[in-house]
Amino acid sequence: MGYQWNWSIFGSPVPTGETTYLAWLLSGLQTTIVLSLSAWLVALALGSLVGVLRTAPSKALSGLAAAYVEIFRNTPLLVQLFSWYFVLPEILPFGLGDAFKQQLSPLTQQFLAAMLCLAFFTSARVAEQVRAGIGALPRGQKAAGLALGFTLPQTYRHVLLPMAFRLIVPPLTSEFLNIFKNSAVCSTIGLLELAAQGRQLVDYTAQPYESFIAVTLLYLAINVVVMGLMRIVEARTRVPGYLGGK
Amino acid sequence: MISIQNVSKHYGAFQVLTDCSTEVKKGEVIVVCGPSGSGKSTLIKCVNGLEPFQSGTISVDGISVGDPKTDLPRLRSRVGMVFQHFELFPHMSITDNLTIAQIKVLGRGRDAATDKGLKLLDRVGLKAHADKFPGQLSGGQQQRVAIARALAMDPICMLFDEPTSALDPEMINEVLDVMVELAHEGMTMMCVTHEMGFAKKVANRILFMDKGQIVEDDDKDSFFGNPRSERARQFLAKILTH
Repeated sequence: MGYQWNWSIFGSPVPTGETTYLAWLLSGLQTTIVLSLSAWLVALALGSLVGVLRTAPSKALSGLAAAYVEIFRNTPLLVQLFSWYFVLPEILPFGLGDAFKQQLSPLTQQFLAAMLCLAFFTSARVAEQVRAGIGALPRGQKAAGLALGFTLPQTYRHVLLPMAFRLIVPPLTSEFLNIFKNSAVCSTIGLLELAAQGRQLVDYTAQPYESFIAVTLLYLAINVVVMGLMRIVEARTRVPGYLGGK
Repeated sequence: MISIQNVSKHYGAFQVLTDCSTEVKKGEVIVVCGPSGSGKSTLIKCVNGLEPFQSGTISVDGISVGDPKTDLPRLRSRVGMVFQHFELFPHMSITDNLTIAQIKVLGRGRDAATDKGLKLLDRVGLKAHADKFPGQLSGGQQQRVAIARALAMDPICMLFDEPTSALDPEMINEVLDVMVELAHEGMTMMCVTHEMGFAKKVANRILFMDKGQIVEDDDKDSFFGNPRSERARQFLAKILTH
């Protein structure tokens, strides 16, 4: 194979000359991180709410939450992304869709659609973890909270959720990792995140191996950091005398 | 104090409680016993509304438990409950377990709540464990903390749902001792338990349940001396032979 390795391409200037290919990659990395982190925060909040509602005594509320989970968990991420970006602005009422298309810059439109897509998709999965965490607690815990005079929301806040979240740190770590990996899908609507910058590099430099190796390593680096962070969270929240705590 | 009138409860077609009626006066200690599946735990959980029931009325200190207008959290905060599996909150220190409901439900200040909690912890003989977590205590110790946690709310009566059933034999007495002391102090108590020694020592009356019905509701001497129903006689013959 006559492939010419050339690692110096990262330092070479891009055709317009104002910056380097490395800077392109790093700006993609930044977009990926900002996009994924903001989507994760929304997913965590929304998923917790929906997960709690799935365990609510009201049949209507838990049914509604179940429908939410099924819709966002059982349709392809790519289809959801296209719906957020191409379909939703067309059908939004009260001129909201037109405002989205006309008043926001294209970059903001892409980012917003991508962020909401990742957030809602992931929130359905977080909701399932939260529901499973609550379900894994002994049934007497809820009874004990209520028996002390806590209202149901207080029982969730002080008794059930603190333990449920501790139990689900490992599966939540996977979801947190997934959201970074899933964010690569957002290159399909033109968002210049890490994977898109990688492909752009290939187009411009004709050095696919170097480009994709660099992109791969950067994704790997993100996830090593996330895993380390979550391990710290797990250690910090460990309960003495419980689940391997000392 | 606690009045149970014609209470019935069913899960679908399955009848759990059938027409149960009894009365617990202030300062009385009532022991509820009977074979497993007879509805003892269900009955006691109806008293503070943890289990709903379809017909009949239960009132505690004159407040109807089944009435949808009743502020159940407020009523429950005045009724102490101790569970078979302790149900301390594992992520909180013993002190926090003792104070959280005082602070969040009764609105006490943290210092006052801690004072009260530690005093009660001392009373159940566990003052040295204030900063530990539930998972670091034995079952008997956890149950004594659970009793202290309930007492910290200054309850008007206490419900015990098989408080010693999940304990090693060696730890049963340390829990019963606390309960006996409580009974002697005049606490109104309703206890689901198989501890007949405890019943003989402090109970005023025994409720014997079978198949969701209160078969006997008698003072303890006539219950142990001369049970009226055949079912209670069989039950006592089986559990008192050892």
